[in-house]
Formats: sequence, C-alpha cells, structure tokens
Amino acid sequence: MSTAPVRAAAVDGADRRGWVPDIDARMAALESPVRDVLGPALETLADADRITVVPDAHYPFHPSSGIVTDPAVVGSVVARLERRTDAEIAVAGASDERISFDRTAAYLGYASLLERFDATLVDLADDARTEEVCAIDERPIPLSVPDRLVESRVVVVPSLRPTEDGPVAGAMRTLGSLVECDAAPSRAPVAATRVLDPAVAVLDATIAYGGDPVAANTLFAGSADAVDAVATSLLGRSIESDDALETVRGDEGPVAVDGADVDLERLRDRIPTGGLPPADDTHPALSAAYRVYAAVAGDAVPPQLEGGR
Amino acid sequence: MLHAAPDRYDADNKARSGPGLWQMALPLLNRLTGSTGLSLAVLGVGNIGSVHLKSAVAMSGVEVAAAADAVPENRTRAERAGVSRTYDDYGTLLESEELDAAVVALPPFLHADAVERAAEAGVDVFVEKPLARSTEEADRLLETAREAGIAVGVDHTLRYQPDVAGVKEAYDEGSVGHVPYASITRLNDHPLGRPPAREAPPEWPTDPDAAGGGSLFELGIHCFDVLEWLFGDLEVRDAAMGRTLDTEAEDAATVLVEAPETGTTITLHCGTYQWEQLPEVNTRLRLEGVTGTISNRDHLPGNFYAGAATSALSNLASRLTGDDPDVFGPTFYLQAHYDALADFCTAIREGERPPIDGADGRRALALAERAYDLAAERGESNAAADDLETPEVSP
Repeated sequence: MSTAPVRAAAVDGADRRGWVPDIDARMAALESPVRDVLGPALETLADADRITVVPDAHYPFHPSSGIVTDPAVVGSVVARLERRTDAEIAVAGASDERISFDRTAAYLGYASLLERFDATLVDLADDARTEEVCAIDERPIPLSVPDRLVESRVVVVPSLRPTEDGPVAGAMRTLGSLVECDAAPSRAPVAATRVLDPAVAVLDATIAYGGDPVAANTLFAGSADAVDAVATSLLGRSIESDDALETVRGDEGPVAVDGADVDLERLRDRIPTGGLPPADDTHPALSAAYRVYAAVAGDAVPPQLEGGR
Repeated sequence: MLHAAPDRYDADNKARSGPGLWQMALPLLNRLTGSTGLSLAVLGVGNIGSVHLKSAVAMSGVEVAAAADAVPENRTRAERAGVSRTYDDYGTLLESEELDAAVVALPPFLHADAVERAAEAGVDVFVEKPLARSTEEADRLLETAREAGIAVGVDHTLRYQPDVAGVKEAYDEGSVGHVPYASITRLNDHPLGRPPAREAPPEWPTDPDAAGGGSLFELGIHCFDVLEWLFGDLEVRDAAMGRTLDTEAEDAATVLVEAPETGTTITLHCGTYQWEQLPEVNTRLRLEGVTGTISNRDHLPGNFYAGAATSALSNLASRLTGDDPDVFGPTFYLQAHYDALADFCTAIREGERPPIDGADGRRALALAERAYDLAAERGESNAAADDLETPEVSP
C-alpha cells in the first residue's frame, strides 16, 4: 500500500454549457489535468512493455451520467502513455452474462476513439487465465486472472459512483470485476488489486454520480486504495462501511491530496451522496403492494411489477 | 376456423377507406371457432407480449389458447399466467391451434412472416407497432392479409391513454379555439435501461435492419398516430436524428410536422436515451390554442399513487359485486394496451374493421420514412456545405 499522496487536478469546465458531446473537445480539456495527475506514475511505466488501461465500462450507460468512465478520459490517458512510453497499450474490459464488451465498447465510442491510437481494445473474457493465490488476513484466496493483466502494467480508470450495494465502485472493484474469485464479494477486489498491483489508479471525477450526476470536473490519481478512499469520502461514505477498503487500509489515517486548484470541501458539498436507482423497474414497495392488490381485486400484475419472479 | 369474407379489405388496404364500406356490418356471424369465446394466441411473450397475454387472459369472451416464444423463460412466464399450451415456434403454433386471432408481439423483423403464417391459417392479427420495417414491407404484409381475408389491427396505444384521450376531447370541444402550434414528446430508456444493469438488452432495437429504424420507429410512430388522430392528415416538413451513443440506429429524433386541415404546426421529439422510473412515464402533449393550452398532464391523476389507489378500490368493489375489474386499472399506460386489444377483439367478434388497422399503421410508417428522408437530405446538405472551400475575400 502506497503512502504517497493522491494527486488531483481540476478540469476546466468554465466554458462548458452542460455536457459536451464532442469527444475531441473533452479530450482537449483533459490534456493538461491528465498530464498533471499522471506525472510521477509515468516514471514507473517508462520501461513497461505492455500497459493495460482498465476503465469502468461495465455497461453502455451514457458517460454524462457518471455511471461509467468517460472515454475521453481514457483517450487522454492513452494519448499520454503513447507519448511517454514505448509500451504496447490496450484498453480492456470483459463481456459478461448481460452484454458483450465489444458491444459496450462500440456504443461508448471506444472503437472509434482507439482508431486514432495504436492502442487496441481487448475483451478479457476471451483471454487465457492464470491461477493465482493471494493471502488476505493470512487466509489464502484463490483467483483466476486474465493473462493480459498478469503480463502487463495496469492503469485502472474507475468512475466516481456507488455500487448497487452502497460502497464506491472504485479502482479495486473495477479490477475485481475482471477476475474470477469464489471468495466473499469484499475479498475479490482486495485479492485482484494485490495480485495485479496497478501502477496507478486514475479516478474519473469529471462527472460524479451519487443519486444524480454532477459535473465535478476533477481527476485524481494515486494508488488504488488511496484513490478509493478519496472516492469514498467524496460520496459521503465511510471507509469502515466498506469491508474491502478497510481490509486494505486498516488503521491508515486520512489520505493526503495534492492539488492546488481543487477545493475538496466544496467538491464534497456538491456531490450528492445517494445510491443507484432501485433495481426493479418500479420501487420494490410498489411492486409488492401491487401484487397484494392484484391478488385481492382479481387484477393482472404487469410484467414490470412481477418483482423478478 | 375463420370464415372471413374475401373482400373484407379494399384494393391495397392502405389508403383510407370510405366510412360507408367499414360501417357496414360484415357477414361474419359464423366466423368464430366453436369455442365459447374468441380463441386467441400470443406470438412473442417478451415484455409487451406478456402485457397482451395477461390482458387477454383477463378479458371476458376471449380464450387464450396458446402462446409462442423462442425463449424458454418467456414460455414459462406464459404458462404461469395461465396458458396451457406453449410453443417455441409461432409457425408451429399457427399450424396446430384452432384460432380466431393472434397477437403478433414479435420483433419487427418477424412481423411480416408471422402475418403471412397467420394468413395461411386464416387467423386475424393484432400486430405490435411498428406494423412493419418499411412501407414496402407493410404493403406486402397488407396484400397478403387482403388476399387471405384476415383483419389486421395495430397496437397504437397512446390514443387509448386517458391523458391523451382527455386532450382530444378538450380539443374536439373547442376548449382553446384554434391551435396554431402543438408539441409532443415521448422518451424512455429502451432497450438499454438504467442502472443497475441487470438483464441482457436485446440487440434488435438498435439494429435498423431488424427494427426498421431507431427511436422514431420505436416511439415516434405512436406520436404520428396520435397527431393524425387529433389533426387529420400530416405533412412532415423537416427532421433531425441524433445519437447519444455510437449506435447504428438513432436514439433521438425531432420532426417538424404540419397539419393542413387544422392549420397546426407541430414539433415531435422522441428518444430512447432517457432513464425511466415507472410509474413515471415521460409523455408530453401540449396544444397551444388561442384561448389557452391543453396539456395531457392536466388529464392525469394529480398523484399517480392516489389515482392508482382509487382505481384499486374500485376494482376491489367490483370484486365484491361480482363485476369484472378494470384490468391493469392502477397503471393507465398498461390499461391502454388492454383497451386497445379489447377493442380489436370486439371488432373481430362483431365482424367489423379493427379500430386501428393496417392502413393506420402503414400511414404512421410513411410519415416516419419521410422524416428519415428529410433528415438524410439535411445531413447530405450539411456535408456538402462543409466540403465547400471558404472563398478568399480581399479587403
């Protein structure tokens, strides 16, 4: 676990009027802040043969919602890495039972974005895997890790949003989603982060989501756990309520944040602290009440209110 | 089996028929199967197909004979809803069952084939919108139906919603005088939904080859139907398509429409980009008249839950008195689907033209196609303008 401070940089949003669909315009605004936050990490990546950039691209939600990493941030990171290293660079995600990564990446614009770089798009679900064992609290945790991640330096680029269960999605859970691990849900992110040892985590807080999106116009970079601690604070959660983060950070004190042009207190006040929308099409209480009503009144239950039955 | 008169439909089944033809009682008294009610099947039991199925199951005078769906989970859902026979192939169902009518709730690329199979079996059809993927495909579909003498109804439900019906009633009563301008907006999040992501989104809605188009075919087609219902013949003047994601089909469409008969200019916007949290449904219809505004929001219960509770209490009372409940009573947008199907079934039972028929569905398609053409012309025009070299100007 690194004790280095997290670096923060504001993204100039003064001239913006809401979301800017033009990815070139967004990347232009991100060039300087990406250079600022990546600074020291580039030294550790200078000799890397392969670098894999891992964004939060779990589903094609619109980037203006804050629910996924803005591809413009990923594009800016890739541009910086290509300029400063000779590494073979890939942007990676994984297909799951809901949707193929190719489809998600295409809808989010990664396919067209990467045409301007040498970087490639990789679906880790198709990758060969290496079996690893990671000790957490002196107990061995077996996990299966895509070879691509094992054989390269990893740059993880999470979004600033909560998970369905409440804690932040963060760097550790973004990595945890790419490994196969039968351990408790709070263990997989820890094991994945320890095994993969990402070179740097870049938190995309250009748009944050905490029940509603807000243009936070900020980037953070540092170790995965430190960045997740910052994200946890910004979303109004406590580290103690996040088993994975507490396992890694233990009794570590607050994370130091370097960034002269970033007002963390003001940012924390602006970002809402809510969760994701309810999982059902309708509120679960409404679904349950409707089913009771339908049974008594002899009415039909709409499929949206069947409550996943 | 059906015994439909072969001349039930006019020559091309797409132009508006003279009212006299359709107001005649058709000699179809013996056309129902021998069952006690209208024997009906549901082809496709996905989300909307399930609504149709549950509607039909609850409908008096209708017997749901069977359902078909390629997805095992959907067949299980149909069985749980009370359907005794399910098939994984709608063609086999149509060959095997004695039916009066079928609901075609399949993806649009299967509509024409399903109607053709239904026509071979002599089964009237109620087709989910859009009727087809193009007017060309609709023409073939309707010609097949005409030759077989089967009725084609189309599920354009917006006009069955109480808020939209309220707008029409107020407009027809002249409550705001002349309406020079109107606007209609319909937004939802089909097929990608909102977080948390749970289910695999179907691919066909974002594939223009499979769906016929994007959000304009998915939602705008309903809007065209309502606008024509309100204002008469429509002319599309301009259109612009948008994509918030890198999808092949548009997920936003804005169309400028004129209604010559009423002298009304209309803007239509529809999109599948906005997260939807039921029971909130983002449908806005505003008629700006000389003396005031008619809004669909004024014809909705002020509070959805209060309105739903009232409807629920009414249904509970009906249960006690032995009357039939208002199916999907607390959810007005689903009750609209029930009412649309009920009207279709009544028309079939009485040998009349479906209240919203293939010609209506075909006209909505034609308006959408015109909007696509104009948007493409605008795109080509803009591209051409971009290619023009900026002339050098000497001071």
